[in-house]
Amino acid sequence: MANGVTKDATARGAMTHPDLHRLDDVNRDVLKMMGPPGKGWWALLGLAATGIGVFLVAWLGVQVPVGIGVSGLNGPVGWGVYITTFVFWVGIAHSGTLISAILFLFRAPWRQSIYRAAEAMTVFAVMTAGLFPLIHVGRLWHAYWLVPYPNARFLWPNFKSPLIWDVFAVTTYFTVSATFFFLGCIPDIAAARDRATGLRKKFYQVIALGWQGSDSQWHHFGKAYIFLAALATPLVLSVHSVVSWDFAMSIVPGWHTTIFAPYFVAGAIYSGVAMVITLVVPMRKIFGLEAYLTTKHFDAMAKLCLLTSMIVLYAYLSEFFLAWYSGEEVERTAFWNRLFGNYWWATWIMLVCNGMVPVMLWFKRVRHSIPALFVISIFVNIGMWFERYVIVVTSLHHEYEPFAWGMYRPSVVEMCILLGSFCWFGFWFLLFTRLLPPIAIQELKEVMPPPMRNKASGAHS
Amino acid sequence: MNKNWLIGSLATVLALAGLAFVQGGGAEGGEAEAAVVQPIAFPHNLHAGSGEEQANMNCQFCHFSAERSVDAGIPPVSSCWGCHQVVQGRNNPGEVAKIQGYMERGESIPWVRLYKISDHAHFPHMRHINAGLECQQCHGEIQEVGAEGIQTRGGLAGALFGTDPGVHENGPVWRGDAMGWCIDCHRQPNEAGQQQASTDCAVCHY
Amino acid sequence: MSRDLAERDDGIKRRDFLRVVGVTGAGATLTGCSTSEVEKLLPYVVADEEITPGVATWYTTVCGGCAAECGMWVRTREGRAVKVEGNPDHPVSEGGLCSRGHATLQHLYHPDRFHGPMIREGEVFRQGTWDEAEQLLAARITRARNPQNTTDGGRVMFIGGHMGPSMSRLVDEFVAALEGTRVDHDAISDAPLLEAARIAYGSNSLPRYDIGAARLLLSFGYDFVESGASPVEHGKGLSRMSAVNDETHTKGTFVFLGPRLSVTGLNADEWVPIRPGSEGAVALGMASAIAGPGGGGPYANLLQAYSPAIAAEAADVGVEAIEELARRFASESPSLALGPGSGAHHRNATAANLAVMILNDVAGNVGTTVHYDTAGAGGAAGASNGYAAIDQATTAMASGDVGVAIVHGTNPAYSLPAASGFREAFEQVPFKVAFASAMDETSALADLILPDRHFLESWGDSAPRPGVMAIQQPVMEAVPMFDSKQAGDALLAVSSRLGNDLGAATFYEYLQTQHRDFAGTTGSDFDEAWRQALRNGVVEFAAPASPTPQLRAPQTALTFNPPVLDGSGDLTLLVHPSARFGGGEFSNSPWLQELPDPVSKITWHSWLEMNPHTGEERGIRTGDIVTVESPHGSLDVPVWLYPGIREDAVALAMGGGHTAMGRYADGSGVNALDLLPAVAEQPSGALVTLATTVTVTNTGTGRRLATIEGSSDQHDRPIAPAVQLALLGEAAEEAEEEHGELMELQGVGGFVPVPAEGGAPGAFPLEGARHGEYADAHEGPRWAMAIDLDKCTGCSACVTACQAENNVPWVGEDQVVMGRDMNWIRIERYYEHVDATQAGDLDVRFLPMLCQHCGNAPCEPVCPVFATYHTPEGVNAQIYNRCVGTRYCANNCPYKVRVFNWYRYTDAVPEPLNWQWNPDVTVRDNGVMEKCSFCMQRIRDAENRAALEEGRPVRDGEVVPACEQSCPAEAIVFGNIRDPNARVTQVVASERTYRVLDELINTQPAVNYLKKVTFHEVVSEAH
Repeated sequence: MANGVTKDATARGAMTHPDLHRLDDVNRDVLKMMGPPGKGWWALLGLAATGIGVFLVAWLGVQVPVGIGVSGLNGPVGWGVYITTFVFWVGIAHSGTLISAILFLFRAPWRQSIYRAAEAMTVFAVMTAGLFPLIHVGRLWHAYWLVPYPNARFLWPNFKSPLIWDVFAVTTYFTVSATFFFLGCIPDIAAARDRATGLRKKFYQVIALGWQGSDSQWHHFGKAYIFLAALATPLVLSVHSVVSWDFAMSIVPGWHTTIFAPYFVAGAIYSGVAMVITLVVPMRKIFGLEAYLTTKHFDAMAKLCLLTSMIVLYAYLSEFFLAWYSGEEVERTAFWNRLFGNYWWATWIMLVCNGMVPVMLWFKRVRHSIPALFVISIFVNIGMWFERYVIVVTSLHHEYEPFAWGMYRPSVVEMCILLGSFCWFGFWFLLFTRLLPPIAIQELKEVMPPPMRNKASGAHS
Repeated sequence: MNKNWLIGSLATVLALAGLAFVQGGGAEGGEAEAAVVQPIAFPHNLHAGSGEEQANMNCQFCHFSAERSVDAGIPPVSSCWGCHQVVQGRNNPGEVAKIQGYMERGESIPWVRLYKISDHAHFPHMRHINAGLECQQCHGEIQEVGAEGIQTRGGLAGALFGTDPGVHENGPVWRGDAMGWCIDCHRQPNEAGQQQASTDCAVCHY
Repeated sequence: MSRDLAERDDGIKRRDFLRVVGVTGAGATLTGCSTSEVEKLLPYVVADEEITPGVATWYTTVCGGCAAECGMWVRTREGRAVKVEGNPDHPVSEGGLCSRGHATLQHLYHPDRFHGPMIREGEVFRQGTWDEAEQLLAARITRARNPQNTTDGGRVMFIGGHMGPSMSRLVDEFVAALEGTRVDHDAISDAPLLEAARIAYGSNSLPRYDIGAARLLLSFGYDFVESGASPVEHGKGLSRMSAVNDETHTKGTFVFLGPRLSVTGLNADEWVPIRPGSEGAVALGMASAIAGPGGGGPYANLLQAYSPAIAAEAADVGVEAIEELARRFASESPSLALGPGSGAHHRNATAANLAVMILNDVAGNVGTTVHYDTAGAGGAAGASNGYAAIDQATTAMASGDVGVAIVHGTNPAYSLPAASGFREAFEQVPFKVAFASAMDETSALADLILPDRHFLESWGDSAPRPGVMAIQQPVMEAVPMFDSKQAGDALLAVSSRLGNDLGAATFYEYLQTQHRDFAGTTGSDFDEAWRQALRNGVVEFAAPASPTPQLRAPQTALTFNPPVLDGSGDLTLLVHPSARFGGGEFSNSPWLQELPDPVSKITWHSWLEMNPHTGEERGIRTGDIVTVESPHGSLDVPVWLYPGIREDAVALAMGGGHTAMGRYADGSGVNALDLLPAVAEQPSGALVTLATTVTVTNTGTGRRLATIEGSSDQHDRPIAPAVQLALLGEAAEEAEEEHGELMELQGVGGFVPVPAEGGAPGAFPLEGARHGEYADAHEGPRWAMAIDLDKCTGCSACVTACQAENNVPWVGEDQVVMGRDMNWIRIERYYEHVDATQAGDLDVRFLPMLCQHCGNAPCEPVCPVFATYHTPEGVNAQIYNRCVGTRYCANNCPYKVRVFNWYRYTDAVPEPLNWQWNPDVTVRDNGVMEKCSFCMQRIRDAENRAALEEGRPVRDGEVVPACEQSCPAEAIVFGNIRDPNARVTQVVASERTYRVLDELINTQPAVNYLKKVTFHEVVSEAH
């Protein structure tokens, strides 16, 4: 029996949407999601809102007026949970663009039903990440000095500083991915508009930008979409490379390495895909999208995870090897300290979650078991957060000057802000599931068998 | 249609840039008091003015340490009293009499400070005096300001509308401590053609 | 640097700074928009010709911190003392000043000072007027001395601490007029040394040491660098004798014999970890080895009895070690042995001191490196007295024949063991009076408190040694919010109320009459002489010549054996004066509380020092809280494992555990005296500090120590290297090779080669060094610093000096625990070789780490807003008001010298403590990075002054940073390294010059270090 199931599943796995037959099913199923929300949704939204409340109080209510000292940061360790979380969210942001833009260019058919959610995730993740540099600085009220603007003092930011590159990289990435996301939505919004009534209809009318689905519009749409895809693609690589340079450009042992850019990009995609899985699995269950999000998709994403996890693991190992091979005492101490020093636990969490757990993805059975993937993706998310924590904290707490070595312990405020950031992200994502079609209707239709006049042949089983 | 969008946004951007430019960007605005009431209605013009019945005194007669110290110095009550024991003051004896009051009570006169530079900027008066600057360069035609005193229009307002926030037509060229104002002067070329004063940050900020 | 030293030839009615506080507010705060509130300009009423607003006025005076009486320069702004510095013209301190000296400034502005005379009413004090208070005191004295009075009658007793000669005489006269008695009590007493000098040479004053002249220096556990009779003078002496001479490649040897390495000990070249209390035996053993059979004059028989073998047995070290040391002590003359200090006052302490004197005598050091003043009374230090006197006083008080007890300048209720019963006895006295400027344990018991003035507000004099006299002048009017009165004036007022005329109305008059005839001047030119005395801050005249004295036979029989210790504990307890708090009189200064202890690097709280092996055996780790139990008491205190202490001993510092001293002292640490018996050493009568054994048991609880120490191991990094003396000549060639390698190495790395040992004057600006935005266009000075690690003693005076000069806030114990200490200078202490189990080489490296002002500063490119950048003068500037607080610069600083304002720490500074703030330095705001600025304000000040003189360039030595100014060891030199004749350029030209981590990461610092020089081979990889 079980055997039969497997075989069956495998067979179905070959097809993108084995259970979809009629185009209007799609409109129905997808737009159904945008109907009146149930209690569960409201509960989640309420939870998220509360989280945001805590987040704001901790940041603007406590940290800004009292001082950044409410964090656990100190002398040797000037960066901690905030920067860790910043990098984490920027990383999350990546797979969205990867799935929507790059896979679009490579014409990977399985992306259609997940890319909308992935893109939404990208936009919201960048929105979250963008807050952390602000949370992190000592004088929030002067943070705008990082933006180049003409002034009578002839003062400009220091374009040599990677932090300035960050400002540009992140803002650019946000602009482009947001535009790309919105553009892709337009036809579906129009579809929603046509079904919606009352206030919602007004809302959709506005943001649908008068989409009529006319031929010329489709024509321009296609052009614009492919151009933006081409524009977004290099960003996938650039943004996280720049973020990695925040570290690589310094002379801190454990940061100052050339491998960082590719290492970070791979890690970003890794964590991003994992986060997509984490988000899509419950969505699929709640909205009954089994027909749209099939094992095929999860299998593909799992493979992407597997690939990137191997790249990341390779990066870890080569870092350790090179530290030893360099013969540089400072480097060696730094990496020895990672494995066996005060923060050994963080390092081992990272190695286990990112290096060992994904090994299971080699097995098709695992790749085809949604629950397994869900669990693994959670592990990966945790692991990737700790990867950044290890890089930021363990490198800083033992640097060149042994007498100035110290320890860092995150404070309650930092924890509130960390958790709050997840609520902030979740808040937007929840709204998204209700206000915009979470699955790209029109693209889905593209990959579906054209409607047949003959009903019988329409339903092939 | 599209054009208007473009022009509109461009205009906005330019406006903002311009504002930022004159405003100086810093969080530090200038003085913000409106009509300042001094404990004694002191007429600078009668003392330092060169006109009819004006004493034409040197600024440093009262502001005694401007030439040798970072602080210009506020005249001690005794030095006011030194003259005003004899000079009763035609125009406003009442005000002059106040000096005696402070002298006898051994109090100092609580002048309200108008010219204040932010605490993180150091302005050594003597370097500027010895470089041959006139007091008026920063303090305006102060020798023509009468007992009504100076009203400063400080902060953003002062910086935005004209270089001269003084309401009095001879009021100070004072710009709070909008740093651009200092820089402008430091950047002026000297005879040799180099800028006449250093614009190294640590010259004033330490 | 040239300073206009103002003298003052009368009292200071004219100077009241309050009226000008408005002109330059007490320090400037960085908060941008501070313009909303109306600020008042407050001119003087009557101008003071000495004061120019914005220009500092300097006065000379004498430091009242301790009995050493160092000369002081006080910097005042608008009539407000803002900084104290050593007076270079003073023969004792020669410009140096210790941390405690700097911190006296905080006691001047301390918020815990009394606002007026305090009169006890039941349990509480009521603030009264001076008239009332003096009236009350006079009345009570009369009443007490009334023979009919049987209830609360009795004699007057004056318990005094250290005071200048004139004050001392006044007190004597005051007491004599009332037929009372006077006792002196100092928390830390030199009585045994004094007594031994009396026995051995009939001298009435402490011996004077010429440490600088010695070639071989022995210290029998004497901590002369941090405590002792004259820390600054002796510290300077040590650095002079032990620092290498770069021409002759010679340097003196310093051997430390004692159970525990103090800061002094950590500077030694060799350590003989002798058993506690065996100093006397060892000294005699060496003496007998030197003197040989029949040698040793009146002590010949004694020396016979103490062979090196016996000494070795007593000291628990190899006999050959002692014989060898004795041989060298005799041959390498002039040598010098320093007696056990107050940390080793055991029951035979006088004998031990005597033994060391005998050793010096047989080695022929008397008259060359050690001097005894037999003619006339010695300096004020001679007045210091031991426990016996106060013990008698206690008995007298307890027996109820004291009617009025007056305490001045001492705090016996704290500085005596509970067992002494002083507290109870004192409470029994009918009327208790305290002259104190702020509350302490003794004043808390008093019935009447007469607020004394701080020494910077009062008149006085000093005679640190024969032939040296200095006047202590008030440098400002008394801090107005404290209605205080100088004790001398109060005494005069009271005695005149009592009808006794002491010949002067004010202490100022009294003082002048005392000095009418000094320096042989007579009435007419007295005023001029007086003015001169005040201007120079010191008067030197021919001291009465004392002939080289002969060793005398002892009248009393003394035992030289190690003492019998109380209790049956397995560990000996060493109680020693604190390097920060002395005997506890400095504990209420936040600067000192936050100053990392020079040995343990721990701030604020107390700790128990224990050898790591001892800890291992008992399963005790650093940070564990243990119960220390002696027969006399028990304490709970965290442990700090320290290889510099014998395995059979544990050590506690004095100065902690105050109960009624003030907000910064109370509840911080424990009072080590609680473990001690109240025993007077015989015959000197000193309180014994090395008296008991203890048992140490782990409570199972622990805490994070408030330490700044990360790792005390250099991890073979080029941070604090040393060079062997024998290799000094060759170091140059070595450097060449290194340089070669470095070139290759850097060739690979692709960045510009740097001279590895590139001290040569021509080497600046460094080849290829990028000087910030200014490249090489700049012609002006290039500021640089040189620090000689062979001179540095790690005393930490520079740390406090810097804190005082630059408005560096203190952050409190919990913040230090979090690793947020703010000091701009961190004295790093690395162990290279410390072995408590056998006599042998000792190698501990001190390294003052401050901003290195790198030519290739890693912090500069990463700052997003140019808040840190390179100035044309080669200074790595930090522009506070531009800082956004990303902290990237601190992450990227390999030296970790950047400190961050995590909170608005300066808000926590209470009035009037903030009046000390330096008006020339911005007070930093919340969220701003800061660090050493090379005292930029002093550079600007020198430039401004130079500009006023036809714009001449700044002269060498005109800019002296606070750290250099205060360094007793003269280890720091600052100047323009582009000037080939500048001192700094000369110093840097040494072959010992190196730059920390430079060869590793090519930072090209402007701070150059000179390697420590060792006698033994340097084992560390970090060449």
